[in-house]
Amino acid sequence: MHQISQHVMKKDHREKIDGTALYVGDFTQQGALCARLVRSPHAHARIEAIHYPRFPEGYYKVDAADVPGENIVHVVEDDSPVFEADEVMFIGDPVAMIIGPDPALVDQLVAATVIDYRELPAILDIHDSDKVFFDYHYHKGDIDAAFAVADKIYEEDFQTPYQEQAYLETQGVIACFQDGQLTVHGSLQCPYYVQAAVIKACGLSAAQVRIQQDYTGGGFGGKEAFPSFIAAQAAVAAMKMPGKSVRLVFDRREDMEFTSKRHPSCCHYKAAVKDGQVTALDIQVLFNSGAFTTLSPVVLQRGIIAAPGVYNVPNLRVNGQALRTHTVPTGAYRGFGAPQTFFAIERLLDHIAADLGQEPIDFKLAHLVKQGDATSTSGLYHFPVPLPQMVAKVMAASDFRSKRTAWAQPQSGRVRKGIGIALWFHGAGFTGAGERDHIKAVVRLRKLADGSVEVLGSNTDIGQGIKTTFAKIVANELDLPLELVNYHNPDTALVPDSGPTVASRSLMTVGELFRRAAVQLKEQWQDGVEQVVEEHYHEPDFMLPFDLPTFHGDSYPTFAWGVAAVELGFDSLTGQNDILGCWACFDVGTPIDEQIVIGQMEGGVLQGLGYSAMEQMAYDSTGRIRNHSYSDYIIPCAADVPKLDVQLHVEEFPFGPYGAKGAGELPLVGIAPAFIAAAEQALATRGLNHIPLTAEESLAYLSAGQKELAK
Amino acid sequence: MVKANYMPTSLPEALGLMAEEELIPYAGGTDLMVSEAPGRDFLFLERIPELTQISQDDQYLHIGAAVTFRNILASDLTPALLREAAASIAAPAIRNTATLGGNIANASPKGDGALICWAADAQLVLAAASGQRTVDIADFYQGRGTTIRRADELLVEILLPKRWLAGASFCKVGARKALAISRVSFAGLFAAESGQIAHLAVALGAVADTVVRRPKIDAMLIGKTFSEAKAALPDYLQAWQAAIQPIRGRVSAEYRKLVCLNLIEDFLVERLSSAHNG
Amino acid sequence: MKTQLTLKLNGKTVNWEGDSSRKLLDVLRDDLGQVDVKCGCREGECGACSVLIDGLLVNSCMFAVGAVDGREVTTIEGYRDTDRFRALDKAFADVSAVQCGYCIPGMVLAAEALLAANPRPTDAEVRAAISGNLCRCTGYNAIVEAIVEASEEGEGLW
Repeated sequence: MHQISQHVMKKDHREKIDGTALYVGDFTQQGALCARLVRSPHAHARIEAIHYPRFPEGYYKVDAADVPGENIVHVVEDDSPVFEADEVMFIGDPVAMIIGPDPALVDQLVAATVIDYRELPAILDIHDSDKVFFDYHYHKGDIDAAFAVADKIYEEDFQTPYQEQAYLETQGVIACFQDGQLTVHGSLQCPYYVQAAVIKACGLSAAQVRIQQDYTGGGFGGKEAFPSFIAAQAAVAAMKMPGKSVRLVFDRREDMEFTSKRHPSCCHYKAAVKDGQVTALDIQVLFNSGAFTTLSPVVLQRGIIAAPGVYNVPNLRVNGQALRTHTVPTGAYRGFGAPQTFFAIERLLDHIAADLGQEPIDFKLAHLVKQGDATSTSGLYHFPVPLPQMVAKVMAASDFRSKRTAWAQPQSGRVRKGIGIALWFHGAGFTGAGERDHIKAVVRLRKLADGSVEVLGSNTDIGQGIKTTFAKIVANELDLPLELVNYHNPDTALVPDSGPTVASRSLMTVGELFRRAAVQLKEQWQDGVEQVVEEHYHEPDFMLPFDLPTFHGDSYPTFAWGVAAVELGFDSLTGQNDILGCWACFDVGTPIDEQIVIGQMEGGVLQGLGYSAMEQMAYDSTGRIRNHSYSDYIIPCAADVPKLDVQLHVEEFPFGPYGAKGAGELPLVGIAPAFIAAAEQALATRGLNHIPLTAEESLAYLSAGQKELAK
Repeated sequence: MVKANYMPTSLPEALGLMAEEELIPYAGGTDLMVSEAPGRDFLFLERIPELTQISQDDQYLHIGAAVTFRNILASDLTPALLREAAASIAAPAIRNTATLGGNIANASPKGDGALICWAADAQLVLAAASGQRTVDIADFYQGRGTTIRRADELLVEILLPKRWLAGASFCKVGARKALAISRVSFAGLFAAESGQIAHLAVALGAVADTVVRRPKIDAMLIGKTFSEAKAALPDYLQAWQAAIQPIRGRVSAEYRKLVCLNLIEDFLVERLSSAHNG
Repeated sequence: MKTQLTLKLNGKTVNWEGDSSRKLLDVLRDDLGQVDVKCGCREGECGACSVLIDGLLVNSCMFAVGAVDGREVTTIEGYRDTDRFRALDKAFADVSAVQCGYCIPGMVLAAEALLAANPRPTDAEVRAAISGNLCRCTGYNAIVEAIVEASEEGEGLW
């Protein structure tokens, strides 16, 4: 492995472990105005009138009438308001905000605010949706011909649920408007996204709006777009009360109920098989976008690009829709559309293989893409595809074949076991031409007279370690001791826009810009003076330009690869499952810090295991999210899993720093299909086409099996 | 004006306070503190020696109502059944403060400590300044969240009969392996003497407004030989089938019922096939 | 009406008055400025607000402040100058067990509570001991490894 992969102490280790790192909630209420939102109790209704209570001195309302700029929170499309004025679109949709010094009194005033609503029909199920927000299509080959000559045709439906990011620190921002300058600091992934939203809502210029990231207690996508909403709301309030800090920090229930989560999906797959090979896939992907568009176009793009999985299927027709419902807007969550479609394709191939009497892993290996093959969007797999070696590693570590064979036999006794495996990729970096056309990242290095170097960009360390890995890259290129190179929580007044902290792009794309900037600085280095160098993003020349209307070209510069096996035991008396083992292998190129990467992989795997069965979130008949606390939305604790076995395989990417590729999202993406494959074996059934798998459902299969056995 | 912090150091002092003021007994607080209700007057029980000790006599294990689950786990006197249930409760930080008395008096049907007390036919000692009474645990509850405890009374002690605790079994079905509230819980006591079933007690948690214990059903098998019991098992299970009317919540009533029946059947089949020399 | 209490907070005697039924967490953070105690859920379900009371691990959100009268409360600030902390600090650094960091002060105190009672825990014992401290970042491998490493390297400290 590259010497840069050697682990160092993380740059932010000390202040996080000794409790001195300040997260936004740690700037306590003293001297600030507490802000609480007045939310819609209806999934869909017209606002007829708002009756505020009499406000004591120092307490105020803030609503659509107070928005100095446009009443819009800028995300991708501008369809969500800062505060609703006419119509509420989901339960929890903010109509107003109350601010004041005493939180208890603010709560009373929120409760005393009466809004007259006229209820309107609410659409909760995507199949009833009357509004298609986004509708994408692409195809390759001749799908109709392939189906016409097929030996056999398979058709299946798949469903995946909400997943809540469940970061340990809830969402929060603090805004202050003073001397014509608006400052917002908080828990966030993308300072310049927040700045753009605040500029639009407040009608200020970029020079007047300063966004600072505080230490951030986890994001996983949940703090990509959502902070723009609360920042806009707090900023509007701050402009109404110059000189005062407005503190909007969510409690856990509010956070779980009303912030964005992973898109629930329904996928319909139809496959043609000819001579034992899948020759065509006809795919329909539906994502529940909730009440607004938020990030759905990009989530859907990533989802449908991944729809055929890691398999070379010559004939494809893929349709994807993101639909409106009157439910909480969904958004970014680690994997960003891909976990939904990988679940579908992996399950489908497992089932086709079983029907053809083949072991699924052998069937999948016979369909794998390889370097030089066309991607789903008729781009190219430009670089080696190391999946066969990775599969071999995972199968050896898990003793896959012997377990798989043993548990295929009829089982008796209280515990029934199964093992499954899944394969996947994650497109590294922004989807399509986003990096080139929209982000246009800029980075800077400032070398001070004392020889130390400040690394300047807008990417945020939300736990994934970029304070450390960016500094390692620059220090390595400049031959400086690591303590002389530092990356701080970004402040838009001080750093250029190197783009958002999303899409597993920070290390690969921005890290490479820092490496190039360091090369530049080294060439110009003069002792004893301050120097600044800058680098700009250029799309690598090898890429086939991506065209969004036709979904044609290289959707990603390269891919990170994943393989995982999951072994489960089910209690035939209770239906509960026990995770007996999880073995995974990931290729994210060169790890810039091996331990940081392993930590990312392990954490992502556990989120994937949670997504498979334990984590359950649904809305009730009125559209209200039912699972809104840690006691009702269960995420794995330390006792739920054995040691996760994670290996790395390194396929260097020549255009990433030292060969690094995107990493953060990859490990979660394909865990669920491996889990469900194991469950199907243990429960002796076929056709588990949804997650989460509940104990109740498992017990039904086990009981049915029992009856079968008794006959 | 300054108000006292009610933290008595003896039982008479505590009962005197209970007689004079309307106080909420606080024995660990892990259920009480979930709600955000300022201004409550708590009577903190953890410094009362009589309430924080475990002792035994010939018949009973005496567990002070304010003994924490941590101390239950640490005591040599604790029977395996109670130890297993205590270890399944939440996580260490909760067990360090949560108490058996609190678990019982909170009157949730999901309490894992209370379940064991039901299965063992525990008796509860309630004390007031005016005197004390001892009641069967089954008579203590009036429904979910309500008990016969008067406002001036404290639950001071749990009397756990020792006789039948040896051959007991516990199973908790939670949403994860720790830090989970029971979705179904089961405790069973079984003892055989001279080839006959001498004692049988099944208790089910989290399926109704209180823990479910049906001595009449268990009596169907008591006094029977193992072969007689095996023959009577279908009727016994049928009686439970009719007796369990589960609540529905995050899991369905049907699921709760099926799991209960599975656990009861498994428990008896296992006991009846293994304990030939009882 | 206010109740007067005296407690020892990180070695210092603190006199406090107020509503004794308030959550210890709120008093620590809002009244006493002890923001090294993190707030994750306020209902005993995540462990981020863990503190030690007379050496025992407690969720400060599930503990009425009145119950700490006359007792000793230790937060990470009162623990970070000890050799035991240094052993855990080094071990957490060695395996990069700190990601977003929000669970970490509570996690370290959970580790201290474990090691004080059981100086050489197994993997499974560590997992049980930290089962009330949720972490969404790490998958727990590194945290478990760090605690085991500290128990080995910190020979004699516990």
